[in-house]
Amino acid sequence: MTATYRGTPIAGTTVFTGARSRQGYRINKFAMSLTDPSKRDAFRADERGYMTSCGLTEAEMDLVAKRDWKGLVAAGGNIYVLIKVGGSVGQNLLQMGAQMRGQSFEEFMQSRPARQGAAIERKN
Amino acid sequence: MARIVGGVGCSHAPSIAHSFDRGLQNDPVWAPLYKGYEPAKAWLDKLKPDLIVAVYNDHMNRFFFDAYPTFALGVSDKHPQADEGWGKRDLPDLPGDAEFSWHLAQSLVEDEFDPTICQEMTVDHGILSILPLLTDNRWPAPLVPFAANVIQHPLPTPKRFFHLGQAIRRAVESYPKDLRVLVVATGGMSHQLHGDRFGFMNPDWDNEFLDLLEHDPQKLVNLRHHDYMERGGAESVEMIMWLAMRAALGEKVRRIHRHYYAPMLTGYGLIVFEGADA
Ligand SMILES: [Fe+2]
Repeated sequence: MTATYRGTPIAGTTVFTGARSRQGYRINKFAMSLTDPSKRDAFRADERGYMTSCGLTEAEMDLVAKRDWKGLVAAGGNIYVLIKVGGSVGQNLLQMGAQMRGQSFEEFMQSRPARQGAAIERKN
Repeated sequence: MARIVGGVGCSHAPSIAHSFDRGLQNDPVWAPLYKGYEPAKAWLDKLKPDLIVAVYNDHMNRFFFDAYPTFALGVSDKHPQADEGWGKRDLPDLPGDAEFSWHLAQSLVEDEFDPTICQEMTVDHGILSILPLLTDNRWPAPLVPFAANVIQHPLPTPKRFFHLGQAIRRAVESYPKDLRVLVVATGGMSHQLHGDRFGFMNPDWDNEFLDLLEHDPQKLVNLRHHDYMERGGAESVEMIMWLAMRAALGEKVRRIHRHYYAPMLTGYGLIVFEGADA
């Protein structure tokens, strides 16, 4: 997905603008709440019930249920809070990233410099 | 009179904290990062600063978009660790320096910087991911956290961060106590954490940034956010915070150490300066 930032697109990038922050406010507020351990427990015990109490729409709750991180970013979610949702449901950032790229976890990991035996190090 | 005795710029990342907590210091993927920090650690051990001023950003652990400060200054004597969503790490609270912090607040506001003044400031991986790599002490000196918005646009400009660094220097130099102050700025070098470009890194750009930061920071000051996002990935725009550290050191710097490593998702950069007049 490409979005424009002040009229200029950056390929593959959704800049977190005020408009996006407004659009994703409910999702992001729900995600931020998971920094509280008791709320993480409540969410894990009953995902739908907890999200309902946060006022998420059905469509937003479906995105979380499907672990559709790409969809959540498109809906205004900010990655720095979405990783708190990922953490609560047992997905790390690498797994979330693979989903956003439409790749399997293994496919994505194979593209990493460390996996290719070519991690870039420079000393000077 | 207090004075600035050194500066550190480095990438912060949850992955660094994670590798540290899991004891991966000698793991083949992680060892180059930890080895790269050794000279900085030895330098800091000798330097023994009395105070650390850290320019960094919070990742929705202290602040949320309900009221998101463009700049925020922690002014208490203690800064507890934030729970980022997966439990707290085994680290003690950071000590602060309320007296210096309030002086900094006064001086910055008189200098036309207007941070939100925070008597409660929990800190996240923006500071705590890298501090354990810079020192074995828990902790080496009181730390004054200065958080900036580099997440929700509009962001402060690169030039603003440069001016911020100059204002921090004026604040330090107008403090009556003889403190030796270290300025740290953190922020991930190239990385993008969302969308089709997830995982993008640009080591050539990161190293050009390190060159320019040392020799010609005005070139970096004159770039737009858009340039940073395009060259380094959207989330790498937080590199602009390093400009505050650079400016705080004065016009000419002596580079003590530099290291760069990009194994996985984020360019891990590290640069250590002393002011040429130090
Ligand atoms: Fe960051």
